[in-house]
Amino acid sequence: MTVWGMILGAYPRSRLARYTLRDRERGILDYTQYTSRLLMIHSEIIGVQKAHGLPVVVDGMVDWHDIFRPFIKRWKNVSIDGLLRYFDNNFFYRIPVFTGEPDPLEPVWLPRIRQFKNLAEPSSLKIVLPGPFTFVNLSQNASDLSKTELAESITSILKSEIELVKEESVFIQVDEPLVGDRRLSKEEVEEYLDYWNEIASLSSENSAIAIYFDVPRKEVFDIVLESKFKYVSVDVIDSKRRAIELLEKTGLPGHVPVLGIVDARRIHEDSLDDELLTMIKKLSKESHEIVLTTTTWLDLIPYTYALKKTKILSKFVDIVSEKIGLEKRILWR
Amino acid sequence: MEYQVPRKFPTTVVGSYPKLEPAKQALRKIRKKQASPDELRGLFVEAIRGVVEDHLWAGVDIISDGEQTREDMVVYFAERMNGYMPGEWTRIFDNVYFRKPIIYGKVEWPGPLTVEDWKIASSFAEGRPVKGILTGPYTMLEWSFDLYYGDRREAVIDLAKELRKEIEALVNAGAKYIQIDEPALSTRPWKEEADIVKEALKIMLAGLDVKKIVHICFGKIEYILPYILEFPVDQFDLEFKNSNFRLLPYLKEYGYDKELGYGVIDVHTTQIESVDEIVEDIEKLMKLGILSPEKIYIDPDCGLKRLPREIARQKLKNMVEAAKIARQRW
Ligand SMILES: [Zn+2]
Repeated sequence: MTVWGMILGAYPRSRLARYTLRDRERGILDYTQYTSRLLMIHSEIIGVQKAHGLPVVVDGMVDWHDIFRPFIKRWKNVSIDGLLRYFDNNFFYRIPVFTGEPDPLEPVWLPRIRQFKNLAEPSSLKIVLPGPFTFVNLSQNASDLSKTELAESITSILKSEIELVKEESVFIQVDEPLVGDRRLSKEEVEEYLDYWNEIASLSSENSAIAIYFDVPRKEVFDIVLESKFKYVSVDVIDSKRRAIELLEKTGLPGHVPVLGIVDARRIHEDSLDDELLTMIKKLSKESHEIVLTTTTWLDLIPYTYALKKTKILSKFVDIVSEKIGLEKRILWR
Repeated sequence: MEYQVPRKFPTTVVGSYPKLEPAKQALRKIRKKQASPDELRGLFVEAIRGVVEDHLWAGVDIISDGEQTREDMVVYFAERMNGYMPGEWTRIFDNVYFRKPIIYGKVEWPGPLTVEDWKIASSFAEGRPVKGILTGPYTMLEWSFDLYYGDRREAVIDLAKELRKEIEALVNAGAKYIQIDEPALSTRPWKEEADIVKEALKIMLAGLDVKKIVHICFGKIEYILPYILEFPVDQFDLEFKNSNFRLLPYLKEYGYDKELGYGVIDVHTTQIESVDEIVEDIEKLMKLGILSPEKIYIDPDCGLKRLPREIARQKLKNMVEAAKIARQRW
């Protein structure tokens, strides 16, 4: 029985990263200068995670303006529109507008994996994809496609992203924050189980679905549990009482729990209280593996705090390993 | 020279206005630490005068100072209140950031924060009432980091107690309209959140003889509507135009009977609403038959700060023209 940690998603931008993006926008940096600076920035972030013993690392994704942007930038028949609030954050994303069937011109992840694979070793890299449910429902559909056709089309592009990196032994994470919306009914999510399974079955042993910002209703979470994703990630801190209730009620039968226990949206020093330890202990009886993570991406707090949170996560892995008697895993594969 | 606010469909603004050149200049200097806000008072006075002139030109009945001294609705108050410290750069969209403030101690009102601007605006207003506007305690907490309280309710209540002092200062100066902005509430539209805000509003507004307004925008306001109806306020000022009047049927469903600040100007588009279009939009509300014209305040969805000045001005003018037509029709 093992425990290990990973950061859920992107890191915030350091001063260097902010200036690099700005100078590229202003044409002060040419493409080569820009990419070599980005490489430096991403290397630092990967290095920090390795130094803290995380067996799966993100490349930092500091060049992503929001979770959809790198994808739609590379797809035909999608444009971006005005800003819309991203869940309950004081952060805004640009609404993807589909004007026809999306058509990828180039992949997002393959070049990144090629670039960062060696840097990450011996840790494994993680690729993060916006899930079809969140993607479709946070976009505007100005095409002739039905919502179902759009979901199918997005799913097939996401699958091709995975196909391209399949040989690389990467960890695959599909983000469905919208599934956490407590107002959703079973009927609104049901249809997406097939799409999730199409994605998960490509790489069932190393794929995760991540739900965050809030805790889904039980009837919605039951559908997630039916999916073929081996790992299921839940935000345990944002609505702690509801999360613990849900996990006590349903457990995570047949899945490896990925528990968001480091608050990625606030900057206080987290603590691992008895309530959390009891819950982890209980879950560890049903799974040979427990993963600890941040509640969401780290990009909603300043960079220095993101580094602190990385350290806290690593400390939590140690504490859980010690107090519950799980072996700490340093290598994922 | 008391100005008579029309009995039916009075027109107003939510608060912010595009930063006029002198204000931009002053804020730039403050940011670069080349001067203090006090030294730049003259520039801000000039900017506020420009805003008021635009409001008067358009014919708005209840006006504002355009929030010319406020670089951001949360940061402005946070930078000045005790218990807060400036944060580090946090992204708000694309490659754009704000210094998300940090609460590190018990929050305390340091003395009047908005009263001076309110007085300046009033001095140019030719007798028209100027709204006293402040960011509410819930939004102040939600859009800051908290390293002191740990408990959200406790933090909001403390902020409310301190912000009450600001409201009292505005009322003592002569403000007849007090507006509390709580845009963050629509992002967590749950009853337990609305209950916190209700408690805070009681603290801030109890016993004051003024028009009490709460402004909420963004998000799915229909989810909180049933809870906020119990708030101790006279008026809600809400966004309608940008969300395509989705909220209207819910007003009827939940038996809405307070005054309504009816947002008919989209602040996210530079396209100027025509007078006819605005009249039609007013008709949408009148058709519901739930509110009399005396209870309907015509205004934009939200602050106008992101629009070019010329567009903002013209939007307000059309809005005022439409309200005149509405007064004859209903
Ligand atoms: Zn607003």
